[in-house]
Amino acid sequence: MTDSSIKALQRKRMLQNILSPVIAILGGLMLGALIMLAVGTSPLYAYRQMFAKSFLDPYYLAQTLVRSAPIMLSGVGAAVAWRAGYINLGMQGQMCVGGLCATLVALFFPVKTPLTTILCFAVGMAAGALWALIPTFLDYKFNASLIITTLMLNYATNYITDYFVAYPIKDTAGDGLAFQSPQIDAAMRFFRFSKKNAMNIGVFVAIAAVVLIYFILKKTRFGYESKITGLNRKFASYGGIKSAKMMFTTMGLSGAICGFAACIEIFGARYRYVNAMFTTTGYAWTGLMAMLIAKYNPLLTLVYSIFLAGLSIGGQALQRAVGLPMQISDIIQCCITLFVSVKIVLDFTVFSKGGKA
Amino acid sequence: MLIKMENITKTYGSLVANDSVNLTLDKGEILAVVGENGAGKSTLMKILYGLEPMNSGRILINDREVEFRSPHDAIAHGIGMVQQHFMLFPPFTAAENIVYAHEPRKGMVFDRRKARQRTLELSRQYGLRIDPDAKVSQCPVGLQQRIEILKVLHQGVDIIIFDEPSAVLTPQEIDDLLQTIRDLKAKGKSIILITHKLNEVMATADRVMVMRSGSVVKEMACKDTSIDEMSFLMVGHQIRPREIEAVEKGRRCLDVRDLVLMGQGSKRVLDSLSLHVDEGEIVGIAGVSGNGQSELIQCITGLRRLSSGQVFIGDADVTNLSASQIRQSGCACIPEDRYLWGSASEATLAENCIMAHYNGNEKLMKRGIFRSKGVAEYAETMMKAYDVRYLSDRQEMHELSGGNAQKLIVAREMFQDSPLLLAAEPTRGIDIGAIDYIHGKLLDKRASGGSVLLISSELSEILELSDRIYVIYEGRIAGEFTRQSAKAEQIGLLMVGGKLND
Repeated sequence: MTDSSIKALQRKRMLQNILSPVIAILGGLMLGALIMLAVGTSPLYAYRQMFAKSFLDPYYLAQTLVRSAPIMLSGVGAAVAWRAGYINLGMQGQMCVGGLCATLVALFFPVKTPLTTILCFAVGMAAGALWALIPTFLDYKFNASLIITTLMLNYATNYITDYFVAYPIKDTAGDGLAFQSPQIDAAMRFFRFSKKNAMNIGVFVAIAAVVLIYFILKKTRFGYESKITGLNRKFASYGGIKSAKMMFTTMGLSGAICGFAACIEIFGARYRYVNAMFTTTGYAWTGLMAMLIAKYNPLLTLVYSIFLAGLSIGGQALQRAVGLPMQISDIIQCCITLFVSVKIVLDFTVFSKGGKA
Repeated sequence: MLIKMENITKTYGSLVANDSVNLTLDKGEILAVVGENGAGKSTLMKILYGLEPMNSGRILINDREVEFRSPHDAIAHGIGMVQQHFMLFPPFTAAENIVYAHEPRKGMVFDRRKARQRTLELSRQYGLRIDPDAKVSQCPVGLQQRIEILKVLHQGVDIIIFDEPSAVLTPQEIDDLLQTIRDLKAKGKSIILITHKLNEVMATADRVMVMRSGSVVKEMACKDTSIDEMSFLMVGHQIRPREIEAVEKGRRCLDVRDLVLMGQGSKRVLDSLSLHVDEGEIVGIAGVSGNGQSELIQCITGLRRLSSGQVFIGDADVTNLSASQIRQSGCACIPEDRYLWGSASEATLAENCIMAHYNGNEKLMKRGIFRSKGVAEYAETMMKAYDVRYLSDRQEMHELSGGNAQKLIVAREMFQDSPLLLAAEPTRGIDIGAIDYIHGKLLDKRASGGSVLLISSELSEILELSDRIYVIYEGRIAGEFTRQSAKAEQIGLLMVGGKLND
């Protein structure tokens, strides 16, 4: 290969990295537009409304940012494991367990101060990590496929956590109809900037965490070793990296980040554990989508998470303003996913054809 | 003429795997096709069995031209193949495997009783005893192969291709297999035997075809040739001696004692293997690949656990330590496959350069955090010193040509400056310039008192560089030579399982 052809290749790759997610997103939006035309709505009007009701208005912008926090964290959590070659699909379950355990500490720990919040976060992260380590152990010991076990564990976890808010720690105040825990003490909640919206420091904590993880993955021994493990496990073990240790650390960290994501949502936005709070919202799956578009890059995951959060907040607003069903925004999200998946598959096949040279 | 392959040419990119190859097979004949790995014999068989399309040439069966798009077509024309890696379903019984894809039916459903019957029939007819109800997973490898052969016979073929059939067998099982092959011939089957074990050729075949670098070197009747002649034709490089200065031997650096590695079943992949390398010495291991070399490297470098035996580096017992501990004990390794083991092709050049270098190197890493500038400088020094042609250390590994990628890996392992270097196939598939360069560096290592264990299937490379040579055959050391006593013919003979009789 000559110098100039290498340079051309590099330029092409850079252009691809920037352009292809944009094209995927535009493709999704366009397909969504076609569907809106089919049901008789002006896509231009709808998209303008969506954008206005998710990013431009301060109230909705706050909504978008608050919603994006657990999305970006669960996305980055997934990325940590995925880039090392360990497919964690149990982010939702890890969020449920992390969130529930943190709530339990918040409710029953005798001292209620901001410091207790830190304890709650620690417990939530540990719980998320342990929950991720169960399938990891099964894979290590019995060769049970991580993809399957992490995914299946989600369903079991949903029922377990929902049981808690339906019986042992159900909030009996008020009419007692909702399945949810009592509220956590006001001293332990994240600071809100205004009474008018949900914006709280949790969002900034989440962003700081994402930046920290970016640094860890980019600059540290752990980041390097996990990346190499993901790219070529044989090369990693030949170089002296212990693959079992790498599997447990990346999966544990992944689960811990998901637990952290749940805590951000509970201590910043909801103040309690609510039945199915992490399943109906689809944080984990939106996060997964964001991190796939971002090709495991935490900073880009952050950007795409905010975008995708805005899409669903805007979609909700669209329903109220134009009477368009909220599923439209789901469809647009799905179209984007579709385009992104096609791109990932294409990248893979193109690489495996040309990679041997 | 039963089969006639004419002017078969097959290329993979710029590699010519088969170059105008002709092959003929008569009815009731056993033809052996021999050659080193990569000589093109497997490719030729894949074409004949419909697994690979050819670029040009034609295949005639009973003087009629045929075109195979898949093994299905080949089987329909009476050609079957016993694969090297068995295509069996371990949880199913022998009978179920044998009739697979050609099952007897009762209406719409599988007729198990008839399958059993058919299996027993075949078994009697060809004298291949098996238990039709045994689960494949519980059969030893020799029996599994027998099931594979019966499966091919069940397809009703007249021509059977055996692809390296003895590679996975124990010596006793090999004797049985050779008998089976002769019996099949007696029953009127025609056979093509792919192998690089020449004693098997002499024991069974009528005719032998020797291949080298994609072409047929010679074709002859087995009674007119000898193992000596075949091995010379197979390996057959002209050896040009290179002036190598004598180096004073130092202390023992690598000592492998009675290394045993058990494989599947009772087969010993490595069998009581002992060898040693001293300081200032390049020791070569000659052998056809697949005779335990890969496993030997993995045992020494800590990637595989030994079944028994010991490995010492210097005075330290490193038996079954972890890969990183063994690296720290002073062992670097150029792995046999630069993309499988030696690099991550989607990682950057810098990331590939620093593998196993950053531990305890303050220039590269401080308290677990990489120093970008240090890493960039280190990678640059390394790649400049070994003349790697690159543009930026942020390039990805797969953008380098094979020769440059190999130089990067050699540089990385040389920069370990370790007392011991394992160099496995250090020059496989690269151009002559790069080969010469790497050979020079290996000799420099020796000159500075280092020890090199050179594992190569390229005999000329071994003969050129080594102070001492071990020949490995089926996991055993089959012979040892010094530079002075080494003769290509004798080594070639031992490499393929022959015996020296002088």
